[in-house]
This record gives sequence, structure tokens and C-alpha cells, in this order.
Amino acid sequence: MKTLNEIPRENPFKVPENYFEEVNRRIIASTAGSENKVVKTGLYRRLRPYLLAAASVALLAVLSYTAAKIFIPGTKKPGIPELSIEEFSSSYIDDIDIRTLEDNTDPVALSDEIPAISKSEIIDYLLLENIDFNDIYELL
Amino acid sequence: MSINNPDSDIIQLLKTDVNKGFRLVVEKYSKRLYWHIRRLVILHEDADDALQNTFINAWKNIGEFRNESALYTWLYAIATNEALALINKRKRNSSVSFDDIGSYLANSIEGSTWFDGDEAQVKLRNAILKLPEKQRIVFNLKYFDEMKYEDMSKALKTSEGALKASYHHAVKKIENFLSGN
Repeated sequence: MKTLNEIPRENPFKVPENYFEEVNRRIIASTAGSENKVVKTGLYRRLRPYLLAAASVALLAVLSYTAAKIFIPGTKKPGIPELSIEEFSSSYIDDIDIRTLEDNTDPVALSDEIPAISKSEIIDYLLLENIDFNDIYELL
Repeated sequence: MSINNPDSDIIQLLKTDVNKGFRLVVEKYSKRLYWHIRRLVILHEDADDALQNTFINAWKNIGEFRNESALYTWLYAIATNEALALINKRKRNSSVSFDDIGSYLANSIEGSTWFDGDEAQVKLRNAILKLPEKQRIVFNLKYFDEMKYEDMSKALKTSEGALKASYHHAVKKIENFLSGN
């Protein structure tokens, strides 16, 4: 048996004599030859170029407005003093030294030990958090 | 203007004189579309029906034809759909099961007045009919019409990669069938 490449690409199908002239006549008679066709274009297709132009202008306006809001600085809000970095440093950090900080800080906060918490504090917490402490009563 | 004019000229004519333009479309494409349909439906009478339906469909939608696709890929898409619609109608109207439609069409080859091929041609056509429908279309368009994958992709709305893979597998299946495997 021949392989695909060995079989000639001939057309074994046949048509009746003068078929194509006849079928063209029939097709044209039932389409372009029957009457003058008016190609109707819908309202949307006619207006589409103008709608697209209008949409582009609107989009550009929105983008411009948004960009202006973001990048152009607005008016200053009253009541918040503006300080430069140098002013901030001199006003605050110089007044703070580590000894002052240590004196004013609860020693527990600086300790590595876990602070003791009473059972009543735990129960208060669970009640506040809406946890049924009866479920864990025995653990306490 | 004649049928040898490029499609772009015919499309321009369709805009100014749709009747004259459409007559040129029929004269230019009826033969090509007929043979594409005929390879799918096999019987001349069925191909004749599908071809007329193709142009009636094209005429009804000529106002909607957009220039994004080529005229001929648009027509091929319509013709393919008409051929498949006819095959499906044949399945529904006969007692033949969906799986046997290939065999049914193969029998049509041998019994047809309008088939004049030798034994090798009969075997090739039977092999092609064994392919799934979509793969058969891809094989026919590539092997017989030598359509570019780019154009086939537009006509069948399938990616070029998928079409290439489909054609490759179709060739393998046909070769296996011809060698008796």
C-alpha cells in the first residue's frame, strides 16, 4: 500500500458538467442579483467613532485630575507645626538620655522574666474576651 | 474589475456597490469553497446545498463583515460551519450512530457517481474520514488547500500551535491507517 507521500494530490471527486457556472447563477439569483440590497449599518456602528473619541477625552480628564491631586501639594493644614529634622533633633532627642529613660520605666518591662499574673486577672481577661471560663476552669 | 483583483479591491467595491461586489465574491470563491465543503461532506448533492447556504449566509451578513479578518478566511469559516451543520443534520436524520458517521460517509464515496479515484485514493479518503471532525478540517485545509496556519487560525478560531499539533497527529494517523496498522 502506498504511503501518504506516494499518493498524488489529485482530486478524485467529480461534478456535473458546467456545474460551477450553473451554481454561480443560482447563488447570484437568490442574493446579489435579486434586488438592490441596502446595507444597513446600526446606530451604534455609526456613532462608534464619536463615542470612542468622547470616552478618550473623558478618560484623559479623569487621569489628569487624579494625577494633579496626587502630585501637586495641597494647602497646609493648620495646627500642625512643621519642624525641620534639625529642629526635631534638638528639641526632643537631646532631652532624652538613657538614664532618664531607665528611671522612668517600670523595671518589669526591662526584665527578661515573665511577669506573674493572678488568676483573677486571667478570669477578668477571659470574661472580657467572651470566653467561657468554665471550659478552662480546671486548668486554672 | 475581475475576480483576479485582490480582496482589498473587492471589499472596497462591496462598500460602494454591494451587489456588484458580492457577484465578484461568488465568482472568485465558489469553486474553492465548494471543494472544501465537498471534502468534508463527500456527496456532491450535500456540497451543493452547503455551498448555496454559505453564500446566502454571507450575503445576509455582508454588512457586518469587518476588515479585521481576510475576506476568504471569513468565507471559509462560514463554509466550514455549513458543512458541519449538514453533517450533524445527516446524523440526526439517519439511523447512523455518531461514531459511525465516518464509515457512513466512506460508504458514500464508493457508491457515489461523482467519485473517480483508484484504490489508493479510496483508502486515503477513508483514512481521512476516520479522523475526528475538527482534525479532518485541519488536515484538509493544510494538505489540499495548502492554507497557511495563520489564516487557518482566523478561520477556525484556534491557535496556530494547536493547529500544527492537530495536523501532525492527523498525518501520523493517516500514515498508520495506510500502512495497515
